Amino acid sequence: MATVDNKAVSKLSRQDQILLVDDNPANLKILYETLDGRGYKLLVADSGEKALSIVRKSHPDLILLDVMMPGMDGFEVCRTLKQDPATASSSIIFLSALDDTDSKVMGFDAGGVDYISKPFQVKEVIARVETHLKIHRLEQQLEARNRELQIDKASILSAMSEGIYGLSRRGEIIFANSAAGRMNACDEDSLLGRSFVQLHFSQAENPEGENAFDLDRMTERLQRVLSKNEALRIGNALFTRPDGSVYPVAFTVTPTARDDHATHAVVVFHDTTDEIKQAEELEAARQSAEAQRSQLAHISRLSMMGEMAAGIAHEVNQPLTAIVNYIRVANRIAKAEQLDKALMDETLKKIESQCLRASQVIQHIRDFVKKPLQGKEMLSANTLARDILELAEIEAKEHGIELRANIEPSLPELYIEPVQVQQVALNLLRNGMEAMGHANMRGAVKFKVAQANGKGILFEVTDEGPGVAEEHQNNLFSPFFTTKKSGMGIGLTLCQSIIHSHGGEIGFRPGESGGSTFYFTLPVRNKPVGKRDQPAESAQ
Amino acid sequence: MNVMNQIVYVVEDDEAVRDSLLLLLRAEGYSTKGYSSAQSFLEEEVADLNGCLVLDIRMPGMTGMELHKKLLELGCALPVIFVTGHGDVAMAVEAMKLGAVDFVQKPYREEDLLEKVKGALAMDAEQKEALRHKEKLRQKIESLTPRELEIMEMMIEGNANKVIAIELNISQRTVEIHRSRVMQKMGTHSLAQLVQMVLAARS
Repeated sequence: MATVDNKAVSKLSRQDQILLVDDNPANLKILYETLDGRGYKLLVADSGEKALSIVRKSHPDLILLDVMMPGMDGFEVCRTLKQDPATASSSIIFLSALDDTDSKVMGFDAGGVDYISKPFQVKEVIARVETHLKIHRLEQQLEARNRELQIDKASILSAMSEGIYGLSRRGEIIFANSAAGRMNACDEDSLLGRSFVQLHFSQAENPEGENAFDLDRMTERLQRVLSKNEALRIGNALFTRPDGSVYPVAFTVTPTARDDHATHAVVVFHDTTDEIKQAEELEAARQSAEAQRSQLAHISRLSMMGEMAAGIAHEVNQPLTAIVNYIRVANRIAKAEQLDKALMDETLKKIESQCLRASQVIQHIRDFVKKPLQGKEMLSANTLARDILELAEIEAKEHGIELRANIEPSLPELYIEPVQVQQVALNLLRNGMEAMGHANMRGAVKFKVAQANGKGILFEVTDEGPGVAEEHQNNLFSPFFTTKKSGMGIGLTLCQSIIHSHGGEIGFRPGESGGSTFYFTLPVRNKPVGKRDQPAESAQ
Repeated sequence: MNVMNQIVYVVEDDEAVRDSLLLLLRAEGYSTKGYSSAQSFLEEEVADLNGCLVLDIRMPGMTGMELHKKLLELGCALPVIFVTGHGDVAMAVEAMKLGAVDFVQKPYREEDLLEKVKGALAMDAEQKEALRHKEKLRQKIESLTPRELEIMEMMIEGNANKVIAIELNISQRTVEIHRSRVMQKMGTHSLAQLVQMVLAARS
């Protein structure tokens, strides 16, 4: 970019220069005498040709120019000066005896700022000179200021990492900063004059329709920006480069408020490749952590079932015992002289139902220990609570502890990984029972499931055991912290991790009359509709 | 077989196990009564029951073990057969020490259980018979007058009529009259039998 124009700045502070041009020496003399001693630097020329050479050398602020001169006349001198940018800035006042309107108009057409008729009045000359010098100075200042602003604007735009386009009323790129060129892998000037929509959205190679903003739709949207002053913000689109390659972008199109401006809209955009990559890496890391937790949870479930083996065996033994008894009864019925058909039917039905009961216990346990591949699903909190209770009952019988359930009816559905949540609840319930068992305390473990006010569903386990020692209360959820002789200290840590991954909270508080209460909450929310979020888009 | 209205009482929390066991026992000709918890069984006048008790050792609320201890406190002499799951053998042994008759392990063979029930009922019948006998003797003893009782004590100790007469400062003839009354009231002619009866009544 160009540096600051020193000549223009230095001109502001110097003595005002006035060039007097007239072929008549007497006139020149009068003019000279009129303006001399007023702080101006006065230059004189007695022909158009001389005037041109002086102007090119000295750049006077104001020229008093006689119209009627032999050779080059005043109008021609004026036109010549105005055509050359190096000399165009001097203000020109015509002097002429011609007092008709036509010649005055010609003077203004040629680029003059004023017209003084001969013979001139001294006071008038002085007044007009002063006025025009003042105007000239202001113009010069304005121009310099404008130049500074232009330079500032240019350097800001080129320093920005966002790509920026100025669009014309027809949607053509009339300005592009260097970042825009960089992102499009081309020289920014080569983008000028191209249609923004045609350039970036004409490539039809979005096979999966990832770019929801095709040429037609984009054309229509841009039209709304340009004609209705609606801003457009798109967080997730693809731009095609001039070389045909494609890159992901987020961009905004903002209408510029003023109608008299060449730029009708400004496009600000940035390449989101890195952001997308980071988001993907983050997602991959999250998934890997999820998989590890899932794995750990699975191992923990297996070990929990191992610890519950005695109870499970008992639970399977019950229906088996009943089946054996019923079969003996059936045998007797069959051997009796008079076959009691109704009793036989009834007994066989009972056998069948006990077989189902045994297989359900096994199925339930199999579901609980199966590999973590099921993922999240919608499940009613009541079904979940019932499944939890079925497994917890086994443990309650084993410990000779009463399990008192209080499940609110008609609870909403939850989007959860059911086995993992069951695992957390079972873990808390077993902890409660174990605490009571170790302390040789009889009583009940309470399991409550209810709507928590505004916080989703609350699951609460309250035991009547010895409670948690105060010095341990802060460490309950720390990894490898345990007060059990044979514990690893990962149970509650894992529970916490599972509950957090479901967007819930888990916690502890001492029971009101001794014992402990462990609880967790799960948010009520619906299954997400699709995997990929819709492109973020908003019209303001 | 079912002398004295013996009943097999079954206390078992699992409905299917209880139902199937009751059916089986009924098919075998026993009178049965089932209870789903220790507490509901305790609502019976447990000291007066005849028969035997088939008791699940592992129940929520009051366990089989606890019920057994409670029954002993309440003076219930019902023979108890414990039904245990696997791994409850140590508990079963403890129960045996406290006087349980036997235990079977789930799932049990029908023959094992039925045999144990039969044994327990026989034991109960025997115990009840002995009790009744003892009670009868006690009543006979209670029918004696104080003087007759005094003389019977001395007879049992092996004192001759003469010794008793001197000891009590009464005539030998009077002793003989009392003596024949005692034998008559106690329903025996032999001194040896009388000794046995009195010992049995006081055991």
